[in-house]
Amino acid sequence: MASLDTNDVLVARKAYNAGLVQDVSKERAYWFPALVLALLLLLPALQFTGNYNYLIHLVLFTASYVVMASGWNILGGFTGYISLGHNVFFAVGGYFAGMIFARYGISTIVLAPFAGLVAGLLGYLVGQITLRVRGPSFIISSLALVMIFRILFENWDFVGGAAGVSLKANDLPVQWAKLPYYYAFVLMAAFSVWAAYRIKHSKFGLGLRAISKDEIKAESAGINTRFYKTLAFAISAFFVGMAGAVWGEYLTYIRPNIFLIILVSVNMVLICILGGKGTIAGPVVGAVLLVSFNEFFVATLGASEINILATGLIMMLCLMFFPLGIVGTLARLRKLPRILNWD
Amino acid sequence: MAEVIQILILGMALGGVYALMGSGLSLVFGVMRIVNLAHPVLIMAGAYVAYWAARLYGLDPLLTLPIAAVILAATGVILYKLVFEREARSAKYSEMTVLLTFALAMVIEGALGTAFTNTQRVTSPDYATDAFFIGDIFIPKGQLYAGIVSLAIISALALFLKYSRFGYAIRATTQNREAAELLGVNVNFVGLVSFAIGIGLAGAAGSLVSFVFSFFPAKHWEWIAVLMSLVVLGGMGSIFGTVLASFILAVVAAFIGAYFGATWSTLTFFVALFVVLLVRPQGIFGEKPELA
Repeated sequence: MASLDTNDVLVARKAYNAGLVQDVSKERAYWFPALVLALLLLLPALQFTGNYNYLIHLVLFTASYVVMASGWNILGGFTGYISLGHNVFFAVGGYFAGMIFARYGISTIVLAPFAGLVAGLLGYLVGQITLRVRGPSFIISSLALVMIFRILFENWDFVGGAAGVSLKANDLPVQWAKLPYYYAFVLMAAFSVWAAYRIKHSKFGLGLRAISKDEIKAESAGINTRFYKTLAFAISAFFVGMAGAVWGEYLTYIRPNIFLIILVSVNMVLICILGGKGTIAGPVVGAVLLVSFNEFFVATLGASEINILATGLIMMLCLMFFPLGIVGTLARLRKLPRILNWD
Repeated sequence: MAEVIQILILGMALGGVYALMGSGLSLVFGVMRIVNLAHPVLIMAGAYVAYWAARLYGLDPLLTLPIAAVILAATGVILYKLVFEREARSAKYSEMTVLLTFALAMVIEGALGTAFTNTQRVTSPDYATDAFFIGDIFIPKGQLYAGIVSLAIISALALFLKYSRFGYAIRATTQNREAAELLGVNVNFVGLVSFAIGIGLAGAAGSLVSFVFSFFPAKHWEWIAVLMSLVVLGGMGSIFGTVLASFILAVVAAFIGAYFGATWSTLTFFVALFVVLLVRPQGIFGEKPELA
């Protein structure tokens, strides 16, 4: 009987795996996200023909939520730790870059990666503490985090307390004033989606998904779960912090009641739930939907109270009837259009 | 010395109110394993019932307390039937219900805000601004009455749980749902009734809150972390633990407020929540670290 050489088995295995990869990549419609990105980069050319500032603002707003939701998704979607307090990192990023901008005039777009790193570092430290508990306890601890930071920022005179700090608006003509932030957010959104894709397809991402399925089994399979989930927390905080940095300058002020309100963190969660937690395209689909919903409600109903009511209602209905989100549900039914299959 | 006693009394009086605010939350978690983030906003709804009864008909909040409790308990039944019953078989039940109650909290907050605006409200019966004086020490009547009523309601609840047959069933379900079902307890009905009682307690707490604190719909986010800290410190599901934790934290917060300023007194609850989750996630009286 011919003995099986281990090497032969490994080689066969590798060839088989390579075949699988080809199969998937043949199906994948790379051209679609590339086309969307190209169109978005060319969109400001419309400004030559008239005033499209509102459209620019909407795309910018959506892109900012894509950055945040993609970041949140790394912790909440891949790893399964639902955080309702990620706006803390939004605020930390915004305040870090905003304060340096106010004092030394360095553009927040340049500072964004550093603000992200600061937020990521804070995320790592917070994660060391709060990731010891799971499930509802983790969710509650994330809410407490927001409350603590809100009180701290409102009473910290150096950053302006509850009144916050006003930032200088740029002196570009009004037609082009939004463009630096527009490009910053669109590129950050592209980067965050790409990063989420790379993470999901790495060994690290596999470990994260194992944690979300069953943490104890993942641990006994040799995954350093503590380190993996803390790192996931830090990476997700990085993206949220980066978005916060540019958002402050775009608004021209940083203030606790803009950055540290619950609606910001709820939107991140809701976008991922709507689009599909743990998918790559989910945050993008969710952000487009949520921003459209928001514009619709504000335009037709006006009051922000109704906006809160509608946001909550959409979240409830989605959780009750489509817990997998749009991308997730379609994928399960095998009806996901190829152009949205980014996983 | 008089100052210390004074702060102690003020803290205890607030602790009594917190105890009622937290006990409904604790009951619902104990029986249903639902971390009800909508509890504070339901308390808010109870407060609005008391406020409008006082404003429109001049009724005393302490008199309208049973009405608020019944209205909210009915709301609880509807919510249970509409939302939570169908989630019972969900695979990620506890996580799912947290998110659902969170969304529910937003819905109710939005509804209250739309109907009553975000103006600060408070009911002001005569006793709300009055006080008893014993030497140098004063006891605010409003908080004293609220504390007494709250403790009376909690005692009644404790007696009901301890001595009535239905109370047995509730406690059995809290301890072990499957075993209780095997022994013939209709756990679904027990769940429904305890959910209604829990939300009813929120309504009762709301009537007391209406003259102890000023309130507006968005304020419930602050209460969420406060109430969670009580329930987590006491041990989720243990009503006695919640009551004890309310007194401990309220007194500690009163001292911190007196010596370091009111801002930091609120922070006490949030920091306590954090520390308890890290050091002893099951709280004082929690037996198994089910939440961890």
